[in-house]
Amino acid sequence: MNDTIVEARNLIKHYKDLNALDNVNLSLSANRIYGLLGRNGAGKTTLMSVLTAQAFATSGEALVFGANAYENDAVLSRICFIRESQKYPDDFQPRHAFRSAALFYKNWDQGLADRLAADFQLPVKRRIKKLSRGQLSAVGVIIGLASRAELTFFDEPYLGLDAVARQLFYDRLVEDYAEHPRTIILSSHLIDEVANLLEHVVVIDRGRIIMDADAEEIRGSAVTVSGSAEKVDAFLAGRKILHRETLGSLASVTVDESLGSRERAEAQELGLELSPVSLQQLVVRKTMAGAGGAGHTAGTGDFSDDTLEARR
Amino acid sequence: MIDDSKPIFMQIAELIENGIVDGSMAEESQVPSTNEFAAFHRINPATAAKGVNVLVDSGILYKRRGIGMFVATGARSQLVARRTEEFFEQYVKPLALEARKLGISAEQLNTMIERSSGLVPEPGTDKERSAAL
Amino acid sequence: MSRTVAVARMQLINKWTYIGWPLTILLASFLMSLAIFALIPVQEGKYGGGSQAPMWYFLVLGIQSMTLVFPFSQGLSISRRAFYLGTLSLFSLIAVGMTGLYLLGGVIEKATNGWGVYGYFFSIPWVTDGPWYSTAAFFFVVMMFMFIIGFWFATIFKRWGTSGTLVSTLGSAVVLIGLAALTTLLEWWGYVGAWFAQQTPLSISGWAALLCVVLAAGSYSTLRRATP
Repeated sequence: MNDTIVEARNLIKHYKDLNALDNVNLSLSANRIYGLLGRNGAGKTTLMSVLTAQAFATSGEALVFGANAYENDAVLSRICFIRESQKYPDDFQPRHAFRSAALFYKNWDQGLADRLAADFQLPVKRRIKKLSRGQLSAVGVIIGLASRAELTFFDEPYLGLDAVARQLFYDRLVEDYAEHPRTIILSSHLIDEVANLLEHVVVIDRGRIIMDADAEEIRGSAVTVSGSAEKVDAFLAGRKILHRETLGSLASVTVDESLGSRERAEAQELGLELSPVSLQQLVVRKTMAGAGGAGHTAGTGDFSDDTLEARR
Repeated sequence: MIDDSKPIFMQIAELIENGIVDGSMAEESQVPSTNEFAAFHRINPATAAKGVNVLVDSGILYKRRGIGMFVATGARSQLVARRTEEFFEQYVKPLALEARKLGISAEQLNTMIERSSGLVPEPGTDKERSAAL
Repeated sequence: MSRTVAVARMQLINKWTYIGWPLTILLASFLMSLAIFALIPVQEGKYGGGSQAPMWYFLVLGIQSMTLVFPFSQGLSISRRAFYLGTLSLFSLIAVGMTGLYLLGGVIEKATNGWGVYGYFFSIPWVTDGPWYSTAAFFFVVMMFMFIIGFWFATIFKRWGTSGTLVSTLGSAVVLIGLAALTTLLEWWGYVGAWFAQQTPLSISGWAALLCVVLAAGSYSTLRRATP
């Protein structure tokens, strides 16, 4: 059940003046839902491309199902990776793309593909190049789900999908995964939306893995303490501080530690307020801490904010 | 319903416990499957299973092979006993401690508790209020 | 092997791409040529170049199979080898079919005295003068050549981008001009002319086939390291 199916060792992917992957070591087990989180350009798509042999590492080793996927039909036939900017043959309509996928995935479920197409209100007889961004994403999502490949990658599958369609995707993913367990790697920067679906979280930032932990371990592993700055600082002296914000004499400080019940009681006595830190907040804090404390000036950074979206 | 304060499996276990304590999940009745929990709360099925397994391990739920999970006989009294103990530790002890600090006698404390019980609304109306919020 | 076959089948899912459009283009070009032939009031053989129209479409197909079908095949986790073999086999089949059609057209054309209007669409002077297998080889190789050329340039483009395409185009031009200059310098044009005069459609097909094989091998080795 928990066999390792993906193993990356010292992966480096070097572009002209950029380390897209900077010594990545990673090990993924079978039948789990992984979140591959990080900002745009952090290396998510590069990592997935290298693992699936769609791109080549400068150095290092990537093993999938125990072997290099490159030109290896035995391995490739168990993988599905529709990228965010996936291209399709010029004359293809969604139904053609689905029938193509059916030729290559032995577990392909055409009934599921049809149901999903209806759910997403996808015009299956319109040329793919005439589809909207959201409909294009839906085509990729449907291929990914209906392929039932043992190792399925979803590369920011929500682009252009509205909130209803995104929820539909998450719901169908959980449903189908429950019935047909497999390894899902969900690359996303909309962390809040997917946080509860994930069993394990891998955060990548500027080509490096900065977090690799079970989602349940992360939940509650950090806490934000707010109140009078003086009291907050005294209370948190000597602790691992991730982020600090002040407003006049008030401070709100996030620490990368959990508090015991005695400490919680103590904080309450001091009149300090404790609030949980969401996975998204934690990832943002950690990413910014890695960027050399840029978080202090960036305020309440959010992965899905406009500036990040605008860079696409 | 699910929040970020603690692991989701603990929250799932607590939700089921609450159902048993308030009687909405009767003893010997079947509880939803882990996949149903996962779909309903939009969480990872493995996490839901972990929450259910916590209750299986403590004897609150038991497995009928090929059928599903059921509430064990005596589960409610077991939970009530545990929660009463927790209630004592979490609320009564600090209450008594604080009362002693302020020089409130046991008798005065009893009167206060009786007076406060008039203030607490019925569970039903409380639910409606939180739903309205 | 089955995945190679599946690659070919995949590209036939939309019948228009490989079958519908070539036939439509051929038919449209044929009808237009015929209309023009009928309008020219000359009672002797009229030859038009209309039959080459589908060839240009094959060039486009070659480009598209590399720029669009290859990335799609990668999304379905198809190996580069399976994609290459499947696509090339499919195209060979299409070329065989089209060649058959051209031969058949040529036979009918001769039998009906140029469709009754002395118009020759499938017959081309010199090219179709030889035996049927020489004509067949010529058409087949030209179709393959167009497809592979398109595929080759798209491969270069995918692998090395605009600058790579530019360099390889300029490079080929420089080599050709250099050869021409060298021929002029050494006063070899007479020999070259004599060599060409000796060629038959069959031998030209042979040389072109050789070039096809070289280009096909070249695009495969480039494709091996191409990314979608």
